[in-house]
Amino acid sequence: MMGPGTAWYLGVAGFLFGVGALGVLIRRNPLIVLLSLEIMLNGGNLALIAFARNLNNGDGQIFALAVMAVAASEVVVGLGLIVALNRKRIPLDVDRLSSLRG
Amino acid sequence: MISGAWICLLSPLAAAGLITLAGERISRRGAGYLATLSCFVAFGGAVASFVGLLGRDGGHRVVVSTAWTWISGGSYRSGFEVMIDPLSVFMMLIVAGVGALIVAYSIGYMDGDDEERRYFAYMALFVFSMLLLVQGGNLLLLLAGWGMVGLSSYLLIGFWHERPSAIAAAKKAFIMNAIGDATMALALFLLIKKAGSVEFGILGGQYSSTVATLVALGLLGGAVAKSAQLPLQTWLPDAMEGPTPVSALIHAATMVTAGVYLIVRTHSIFESAPHVADLAAGLGAGTLLVAGLIALVQVDIKRVIAYSTMSQIGYMFLGVGLGAYANGMFHLMTHAFFKALLFMAAGIVIHALADEQDIRKMGGLRQLMPRTYLAFLIGSLALVGIFPFAGFFSKDSILAAAMDHGTYGYVLWAAGLAGTFLTGLYTFRLLFLVFWGEPSPFVREHFHALKRDVVGVSLAGPVAILAVLSVVGGWIQWEPLWHPIETWLQTVAEPTVSPKSWQEAVSSALALLLGLGGIFLAWLIYGARRVAVPRFAFAQRVLEHKFYVDELYDALFYRPTVWAAKGLYHWVEDPLVDESSNSLGQDTRDLGRLVSRAQTGLLRTYALAIASSVAVLALVFVAVR
Repeated sequence: MMGPGTAWYLGVAGFLFGVGALGVLIRRNPLIVLLSLEIMLNGGNLALIAFARNLNNGDGQIFALAVMAVAASEVVVGLGLIVALNRKRIPLDVDRLSSLRG
Repeated sequence: MISGAWICLLSPLAAAGLITLAGERISRRGAGYLATLSCFVAFGGAVASFVGLLGRDGGHRVVVSTAWTWISGGSYRSGFEVMIDPLSVFMMLIVAGVGALIVAYSIGYMDGDDEERRYFAYMALFVFSMLLLVQGGNLLLLLAGWGMVGLSSYLLIGFWHERPSAIAAAKKAFIMNAIGDATMALALFLLIKKAGSVEFGILGGQYSSTVATLVALGLLGGAVAKSAQLPLQTWLPDAMEGPTPVSALIHAATMVTAGVYLIVRTHSIFESAPHVADLAAGLGAGTLLVAGLIALVQVDIKRVIAYSTMSQIGYMFLGVGLGAYANGMFHLMTHAFFKALLFMAAGIVIHALADEQDIRKMGGLRQLMPRTYLAFLIGSLALVGIFPFAGFFSKDSILAAAMDHGTYGYVLWAAGLAGTFLTGLYTFRLLFLVFWGEPSPFVREHFHALKRDVVGVSLAGPVAILAVLSVVGGWIQWEPLWHPIETWLQTVAEPTVSPKSWQEAVSSALALLLGLGGIFLAWLIYGARRVAVPRFAFAQRVLEHKFYVDELYDALFYRPTVWAAKGLYHWVEDPLVDESSNSLGQDTRDLGRLVSRAQTGLLRTYALAIASSVAVLALVFVAVR
């Protein structure tokens, strides 16, 4: 087997996930929050693929593909929302989007 | 014969149902005719039963017909059954006969009232209930009829429901009667426990003296409440708030005498508890004196007659309490005649004077309505017991029976004699004040005579019939010369006293003399001069307040109840029940308000909460591992 061991991949995946989570928690711009979410998902994907290789089994890869599809749809909805907010001239700040009232 | 009894029982019920269901489709007068017809049919049924029983010899004069098993549980069983025996037929004839006359009279009296149909439905319901009471083949049915006459009495007293005083009187009557119903129910429970049945036959069984006394006391409680005897007498005068025919039928002729019927019907248990029987007689004697005294100062024509009713029922209690069952029942019959007559004659007077009942405003009606005067005079003479009117024969034999009952009997006898004097005094006070003298200004202004139309005939006809009955009704039995009623009732209730001829003679003579003395005194005070009430300030005040019995009950029962209720509300209900549920709700809301603080709406806080929770879970997971 070539290349680094599975533990490295998991380390990178954890790091990506942590960076993403931190971004979600501390950034106020919804665009950046969305970006950070993508990073978290990709961290998860990396872990899935690493496990798939480790177990010599394709299931994890299939799962990662599914996650990508979900992530793409999620971005579509999220970006749509952000565009709509922008059109209504609502400031792009998640802290000020605290009311559910229409 | 037995089908006659069923027709008698059910035809008033059918009339009540028809009038109720027909609503507006039956004319007001039509409702009256229907009710009257049903009562006459009932009377026909009663006569058929009577004739049927006459055809049998003495020992076999009991017929029971069971329609269905009403209640059964374990070994206990009671049917819906009517019983025909001499006593129930005797009562059926009185109830249906006098009832039919009074309902016929109501057609005229209630003419033009707003709710005639309701009135006649109630009247028919009452006649049915009363017939159920007297025909019921066991104690349970008797109690059912007992409760139903109380209900119809309540409905009819409160018939003019726009008058607050009528509603108050109806409630008072119902509550007073409910006390009696409750004691009767308790007596029945005890009987069912001891004997496992409610047939009349078990009353003659062997019971310990405690059980017999308790059962007799319970039944006496019911009788006393229904018949307005001491100490539950206060409802009857107030019941005069109802229409006059109601007073005549329910509160004079039939329902209030049900207590006498009950004691005669259950006489065996009273014979096993002689002290209770003596108590009944004593209560009767007390009531006849108290009611007679109060009647002296009443100024409402119907209330005077109401007090005389209480007083006469006192005589009946005196008689049946001492074991003179036939005499008590005989007086019940003659009383039904002359008291219904008096009430209905008074009703004509009230009708003619535009619903005025205050005798101080009346006077001089003798010239204006001579025939009504004659009827009233006959009724009054029969009530006082003047020979040869009905009351003479029935009342005096009760007094004679009292003489045959030892020392206690003599005490009661003296009370009864004093009562006859009072009866003469208050009855003729009423007669003189209303009919004698010159017509008062009020009478001149308001008097209008009866016309010869349906109203006039319906009012006058029954009064005429009852006037005749009040004269000849007493001739049926003249102790000790002939006594068909005693013979008739012998198989049901054998009298325990048998007064001798000299006792009869002495009682009759003394009662007659005292009655005449009362009349003479009344003439001196009210006939010769015209004084509404004599001036003995203290005695008058006491009598006008009816010996303060209402006030006593008010202080003894009503006020403590109100205080207790207020206290309970203030110390228990308000701080405990109300406050605990209030604070339960308040605390829940406070808790909700506290939790809602966490719902900030800030996305990042939620995310932080999720992330930190996951982190904690992960740490725990690792640590446990």
